Amino acid sequence: MQQALFNKKRIAKKELAYKIIINMVMALIAVILIFPYFYMISKSLMTVEETLSSEIKLLPAKPQFGNYMHIFGDKGYGAALLHTMEVILFNAIAVPLSATFIAYGFARCNFFGKKALFAFMLSTMMLPAVITQIPLYVLYAKIGWLNTLLPLTIPNLTGGGAIYIFLARSFIQSLPADIDSAAKIDGAGALRRFFVITMPLLKPIIIYMLINVFTGAWGDYYGPLIWRLDEDFPNTIAYKVFYLLQNKTVAADMVNIRMAAGVLMSIVPGVLFFVFQKQLIEGVAMDGLKG
Amino acid sequence: MRSTALLNKASRKRTPRENVKYFWRKNRTGWLFVLPLVIGLGIFTVYPMIQSFIWSFYNYTGNRLYYPVGLGNYIAIFTRDSEFWRVLGNTVFYTFVSVPIALVTSYLLAVLVNQKMKSVGAFRVLYYLPVIIPGVVSGLLWSDIFAYNGLFNKMLGWVGLHSDFFNSERWYVAIGSIFLMNLWGVGGGMILWLAAFKAIPSQLYEAARIDGGGRVQQFFHVTIPMSMPMIFFNVITMLIGSLQFNGTLVFAYEGKGENDSLYMFAVKIYNEAFKSSKYGYSSALSWVLLFFVGIVTAVCFYVRKKVFDWEEG
Repeated sequence: MQQALFNKKRIAKKELAYKIIINMVMALIAVILIFPYFYMISKSLMTVEETLSSEIKLLPAKPQFGNYMHIFGDKGYGAALLHTMEVILFNAIAVPLSATFIAYGFARCNFFGKKALFAFMLSTMMLPAVITQIPLYVLYAKIGWLNTLLPLTIPNLTGGGAIYIFLARSFIQSLPADIDSAAKIDGAGALRRFFVITMPLLKPIIIYMLINVFTGAWGDYYGPLIWRLDEDFPNTIAYKVFYLLQNKTVAADMVNIRMAAGVLMSIVPGVLFFVFQKQLIEGVAMDGLKG
Repeated sequence: MRSTALLNKASRKRTPRENVKYFWRKNRTGWLFVLPLVIGLGIFTVYPMIQSFIWSFYNYTGNRLYYPVGLGNYIAIFTRDSEFWRVLGNTVFYTFVSVPIALVTSYLLAVLVNQKMKSVGAFRVLYYLPVIIPGVVSGLLWSDIFAYNGLFNKMLGWVGLHSDFFNSERWYVAIGSIFLMNLWGVGGGMILWLAAFKAIPSQLYEAARIDGGGRVQQFFHVTIPMSMPMIFFNVITMLIGSLQFNGTLVFAYEGKGENDSLYMFAVKIYNEAFKSSKYGYSSALSWVLLFFVGIVTAVCFYVRKKVFDWEEG
């Protein structure tokens, strides 16, 4: 009896020690992973002289919140932000709408060529984007789409990518088909069944799409980089950061301002992530488990 | 009532005209729904693919006059283009080292936060945070951390070392720095592993324990086989993604690095197409890249088949 109790105590003690060690390891990793953030924020609040000094400073002597005002001042970030928001606004409507629309066809309708089309669509996921970029560039040049935001938006009217259609199809298939058939018997047409009955049930997957559309367009510097003709291109915020990073000699912008833009660019997706953690992580898991 | 009428109609022999009508009626709803996809694939995938394949046999540079060169572009890539082998080497090295690193580190992290403790939820969120940062911002941040007078060199200086990281002329140092930077995003893989763990029934582990299987055996005989589909899918997408990696555009000197140490395949195609306007040549290059992607995908599927056969047999 005494011995058993002693053993139990010893095990509990061992477990506690284990828990403390594991928590310490986890905390250490967290500190390492979060530290670059802290460093970026700190640098965004420094004066130019502080960022240039060869001594590494972890904290600014006096936080320069004015750096953030510069972003929206004459530095051109304001206009870039506006263009990014235009792209996001369009895609946030176009992608969920078209992707779920197409997915409904795959999930609930039978038609000639369905399997072949679906397989072909999935195979395009493996296609390197560079293959299509060159002819599209020439095509866009012909129809006057270069130097506009159209290449970043209009193609998204066609589903926004195989992955979204695939996910939406799986999601619709996981819903009970009875409601749909009942509505059909009651005489509701396919369009009505999609918009009135199925669409409202797709909220989780639509939220997942919205977040991804947002973060995708928010961080996209490559699209604006390709589809530009000259300096008249409507910059997006990600492109602006990219441009200033690649052209360090352009004295228009110092490290502190660039870091402030970086902080701003990570705050927005960060807030989104905290609000929609659950949907995002579940969505990622769904993404990965389909294999 | 209506359905029987349809049945009668269907069983009766139809004229060809009626056949077409019937076929149209049966399919039109489905076709309506996938119409945007068909248009999209046609304009933004099929047309450009055919066009780029055709151009890969021409010396097209955007001028109205251009001539077929047969396999000239492809021959030039493999024999005359001194950058090609460099670029291919860099890309292959990056791909086949970064993917295993990502798999292993994210697995270890997932195991760490898969324990029955209250605190793990918060840590998972913290680990995932760097993943949501836009690539261009992490490029900005890490090129500052890796700078000549930057944070990392300060820390290396404490033990008397110094590195040029992204600006190194040695490719293994420069690409190695990308691996270091990529570790920051280890949370992305962690989430996938956690989802895979969640899908494994705990009875399997119990059974393994009863049979006397240790932690290592549990890993090889339960965790790995059960998460095989997920690992397989992600390895393929990671490999394909890495072969097309162009993130070096952000942080490498001129997108190539010093002495081309960070010059990647996709960046080379970008340069040939959009900086030099060699549309024909870069089309050929992109088909070479597709060829490599195809090989990697085929090998993955072959290996999967072998593994599954072996498991079943």
